Amino acid sequence: MRGLFKGLIGTVAAAALTVTGTAKTDDDTIKFALLQDFTAVYTFVTDEYNQGQRDYLTLINEEGGIDGYTFQALVRDTGNEPQRGLEAYNRARREGAVLVDFLSTPVSRAAVSRVLRDEIVMITVLHGRGDASDGTTFPYVFPMMATYWSQAAVLADHIEQNEDGLEGKRIAHVYIDSPFGREPVPVMQELAERKGFEYRTFAYPSPGTEQSATWSDVRRYRPDYVMIWGAGGGQPVSVREAIRNGIAPERILSVVWMAETDARTVGTDVATGLKRFEAVATGTDYPIMERIMETVIEPGLGTGDSENVGTTYYNIGVASMAVSVEAARLALEEYGGPLTGEKLRDGFRMIEDYDAEGMMPPLTFSEEDHQGGGFGRISQWNGEAWEPVTDWYASYQDIVWEEIEKDAAGFREGR
Amino acid sequence: MFYRLSGVHHTRYETARQLWPIPADRWQVWILLALALGAPLYMADLYLTSYMLPWLVWSAAALSLTLLMGVAGQLHFGFAAVMAIGAYTSIHIARAGWPFEIALIGAGLTAAVIGCVFGAAALRVKGLYLVMATLAMQYLVDWVIINVPAISGGAQATLQTPDVTFLFVPMQGDTALYYGALLWAVIVTVLVLNIKRTSFGRALVAVRDKDYAASIIGVNSFKYKLLAFFTSSFLGGVSGAVLAFCYYQAVTPEQFGFNVSIQLVAMVLVGGLGSVIGAYLGAGFVLLAPIFLTNAMAYAAIQGWLTVSSNLLAHIPLMAYGALIIGFLLFEPLGLAKIYDNIRKYFLVWPFRHSGS
Repeated sequence: MRGLFKGLIGTVAAAALTVTGTAKTDDDTIKFALLQDFTAVYTFVTDEYNQGQRDYLTLINEEGGIDGYTFQALVRDTGNEPQRGLEAYNRARREGAVLVDFLSTPVSRAAVSRVLRDEIVMITVLHGRGDASDGTTFPYVFPMMATYWSQAAVLADHIEQNEDGLEGKRIAHVYIDSPFGREPVPVMQELAERKGFEYRTFAYPSPGTEQSATWSDVRRYRPDYVMIWGAGGGQPVSVREAIRNGIAPERILSVVWMAETDARTVGTDVATGLKRFEAVATGTDYPIMERIMETVIEPGLGTGDSENVGTTYYNIGVASMAVSVEAARLALEEYGGPLTGEKLRDGFRMIEDYDAEGMMPPLTFSEEDHQGGGFGRISQWNGEAWEPVTDWYASYQDIVWEEIEKDAAGFREGR
Repeated sequence: MFYRLSGVHHTRYETARQLWPIPADRWQVWILLALALGAPLYMADLYLTSYMLPWLVWSAAALSLTLLMGVAGQLHFGFAAVMAIGAYTSIHIARAGWPFEIALIGAGLTAAVIGCVFGAAALRVKGLYLVMATLAMQYLVDWVIINVPAISGGAQATLQTPDVTFLFVPMQGDTALYYGALLWAVIVTVLVLNIKRTSFGRALVAVRDKDYAASIIGVNSFKYKLLAFFTSSFLGGVSGAVLAFCYYQAVTPEQFGFNVSIQLVAMVLVGGLGSVIGAYLGAGFVLLAPIFLTNAMAYAAIQGWLTVSSNLLAHIPLMAYGALIIGFLLFEPLGLAKIYDNIRKYFLVWPFRHSGS
């Protein structure tokens, strides 16, 4: 019995600790809440992505901040669970966060109605609702980079450029059986009708570690090109199965979730020629990355393994914060401090042709367009690194926006 | 001393049979209820919306499951699917313009009917085989929701809950949503407490303990197994709807995945099979312990007491959580409810050591 009471006292003490653990609000810090999934489903991207985000914020702080304001990252694990995400969100809101990034589709979806009500900016980089690109319906949600619809359009356009037209081509779309996997289907169907190519979908069961049955179907279909739509552990399996079924790596086009580690898992030589959609440049040969190396990594202020600097997901993290900090800068310039969610939102909408010093396609946001144009490019694995093979471009935004508007209208009616 | 047993004499059957025959238990319940009712007055909205509200709804869900698993002894590893059916039914009914009250009942009935269809397997199989049958339900329901856009809501697979009113009260704002959840939790609690002391509940217990022995003494195990699935799925379905409308305010397939089913089973087991207070304690533990642990670790890291990589930092709460579950079950295999029971028994006769019985 005595042991039990000791245990109880310990638990209560721990609880009290967390209750008092809310930080004081300093007026000259801008708080970005990075409440992400470090332990469950998104682990393949979160570590590097989050490291990039925090390193970039450290860089800005080391350079003196903006207008005397410094940035603070509030980091919590949500385990991809909506209830934990919402708890972390409410806590961050209390601590004065003006921006949240969940990097988790289920959590972001559950948070949409709350950020709209609380007027806090939510960035949904490469996840979340694609229809949130409609800024009039979702004033506080910023997908910021190309939605999955835009990615599909960019990939289809690349095939068209390569083959002098899409007519009569067979495109197989192999995806993980989830809403994420089937998201680009309507855009591709519309394109198939318009361009006169054959399009067929093949789903493999989640989590994608076993896909052989699906790929023997794909083999019988004899596609000219294969688009693979998965994330994490399923991606290298897709590539390996595709190659085993006689599809040349040059004819495999991947969604944005394909990184150095995936190519290494497949085998650096085997994967040579593999193509992917790229939203942010990879590597360290960019002014921002050089400054991060110099100011953050070398003095030992980095948040994680310095090996990760310059990888695909690290750079996406850096770019997401670069755009957000740019928005904060514009907002402070226009309205002055302290920064609120509403000012930050207007800051985002003021961004025009911002390319993070060459790391990204030039992004422009407006009151209507929160996607930033839907730009991307194709890069190819050359055996050692991902090498860009095209310039930044956006394609078929008319079809993409049809989808965005259709789903956004559904959201408006549902409320 | 605390419970003041001396002088409590029941002279009528009604007083001896009431839910809490000991006055001390009764005033504890009243205090808890008063605290819960007054929560919006003294609790910051963070704790009200992020801790109390989900805790109440998940407790109601765990109670629904403990009725099936603990009282009737039918293992169910697909209870999240039951809740999903309730959530999706209610949201579609509400979006079609019907009143929220109808949507809730519809949610319960649909979940109960579909739950019964899979529960019919329980008439043939028991134990681990029933686990497999209910797991199949989980995957089938998941698959149907994901693959039928008319249910899941198109490419985004997200349905926002429409604005509704419940008994003329608009369900908007933290307070209204909280009271909605509290009302449902109280209803389920009183219902399960009462089921346990009626002939229905005793029949369920008889079926749990040995189904053919039950049929020998005249309990139709066919009927009572199905009734158990029906009742529990009905409550689970409404809990799913309440979860969707009062807490998430948007429904996506991931909210009711397989891992959620396992969490529900964990709530019931850690809390104590078949126990009402166990459902509350279990739901609180499974739902809130990871949150507390994550925040405590993050606080320790911010204070500089803990200098580890952010990756390890995110995983320490998981390890601690696992260790806590093992610890609790080693310490008291009958769950948190048994720990409560031990404490209560200790104070029942305090300052003496033994109750004699």
